[in-house]
Amino acid sequence: MVYKAMTTRKKELPLQDDSSNLFLQIMISIAVFLFGVTLAGVLSINSMLATWNNSILGSLTVQVMPINDTNEEQAKAQTLAQQEKAIELLQAKNEVEKVTPLNDEQLQKLIQPWLGDGIDVKDLPMPRLIDVKLKKGAEVDFMQWAEELAQAAPLASLDNHKLWLNKLIKFADGLKLLALTVLILVVLITSGAIFYCTQTSLGLHKYIIEILHLMGAKDTYVAQQYAKRTAWLGFIGGIYGLILAIPTIFIIANLAKQIEGGIISEARLSLIDWSVIFSLPIFSMVIAMITAYYTVKKTLEKFM
Amino acid sequence: MKNSNYPDSIIEMQNVGIRYGQGAEVLSDIKLSLKRGSFHFLTGKSGAGKTSLLSMMYLAQKPSRGIVSVFGKNVNFTNRDALAMLRRKIGVVFQDFRLLDHLSAFDNVALPLRVCGMDEKEVKKRVTELLQWVELEKHINAPTSTLSGGEKQRVAIARAVINRPELLLADEPTGNVDNDIAAKLMKLFVELNKLGTTVVIATHSDKLITDFAYPRLHLQNKTLRIYRPIDMVNPGGVHGL
Repeated sequence: MVYKAMTTRKKELPLQDDSSNLFLQIMISIAVFLFGVTLAGVLSINSMLATWNNSILGSLTVQVMPINDTNEEQAKAQTLAQQEKAIELLQAKNEVEKVTPLNDEQLQKLIQPWLGDGIDVKDLPMPRLIDVKLKKGAEVDFMQWAEELAQAAPLASLDNHKLWLNKLIKFADGLKLLALTVLILVVLITSGAIFYCTQTSLGLHKYIIEILHLMGAKDTYVAQQYAKRTAWLGFIGGIYGLILAIPTIFIIANLAKQIEGGIISEARLSLIDWSVIFSLPIFSMVIAMITAYYTVKKTLEKFM
Repeated sequence: MKNSNYPDSIIEMQNVGIRYGQGAEVLSDIKLSLKRGSFHFLTGKSGAGKTSLLSMMYLAQKPSRGIVSVFGKNVNFTNRDALAMLRRKIGVVFQDFRLLDHLSAFDNVALPLRVCGMDEKEVKKRVTELLQWVELEKHINAPTSTLSGGEKQRVAIARAVINRPELLLADEPTGNVDNDIAAKLMKLFVELNKLGTTVVIATHSDKLITDFAYPRLHLQNKTLRIYRPIDMVNPGGVHGL
């Protein structure tokens, strides 16, 4: 009989019956959902920024404008001659690791998304593009190169991607800042909800807490019971939030992939990024536990 | 149980007054020195302030003025954790029992041991023994909400003494039990007192006071007077016993 009494021991504070539990769990689920999706966004932007930064540092593009001539064959041959001169010049540079001219098929593929499927791009006068990969850590005097290129192949121009990439990076940085603000707000709002729910519960169970105090319980004894209960709610809420967030992230990723142009597709989540996202229930559990614990400690200071 | 680290007085009160909100004082200029190992009855008419005085003794309330020292510590300058440690040395039987109705008799009695972090095996041993002694072994798993008034009272008393307190405060502890149980409970209090526990029992029962020759703390006109057992028939009293 005593064994039964011990194994069926109930907590002194019947926190599992609190009406605010469901609200708190839903609140935490929503918070983890928002946090997960936003975090995936931040991590994607980070990976995109890293790729773009590498692009700035490691490559440049040379564009050779097409020659307009009534004789198409002759015009193409002249353009290719200009391209060859540019390639020769670039290959002679110590800082260059690899020079790759884009073939017709690659050029068509690049321009296709901008013109749509209905137009046959083969008939259009196409500029030639040369992809130049620089050696790691190479320092290039772009002005000097541009001048040399203009002399060797007057129709060729140098694009080091810096201008447009810098704008994109600034934009991405702004998005990242916005996302981080959202993350902080989500944490603050969740902590606030836990704070008020815990305070309400303390009011509801004031009678029991007074008895516990009179039996010699320290505030930590009460705070630990709240922390355990709220940690569990935080974890379960976090699991539900994650279950909602994962498919949402995949849906957004798929939608992003459909935007062609080679920019969005560079945003990928690494294994570490995924493990961070999957650890969100633990994170919500810790936040819930700490908030509840200190709320109880702070509130009980007003008791005798 | 005598501990040389503690002063001889378990409770000291000097010029203590207590009021609720902005109201008039319910107790004024209380002076009291409760010696270690003593046994007192606390008497007074209803509303005389017995519960207020007891609540200061079991550290549920601080005085509005004056100094209250419990186990040598001035309660006004003792931090919350230290107060909790002092409360662990005090057993209290409340007039309204103050049991946790959603818990079993076992869990209610085990409460003071568990808040101290005692090992569950020892908790089991002590609680079972005591519940058998107060003849409640049949109700060990019953929620206290299902118990009768007398049974609740015995659970409350078991909870108060389970931790072998140095100070036992009881508010009408025999009010809801029959004479046999009352005698048995009083015997328990007397035995605890012989082992060194300081006991204060608030009561209206003249029988209890005459049956047991202990001094009496009497509250009247907001102040406290102390009578020797011999003065029972002729209250005129000796102060500051």
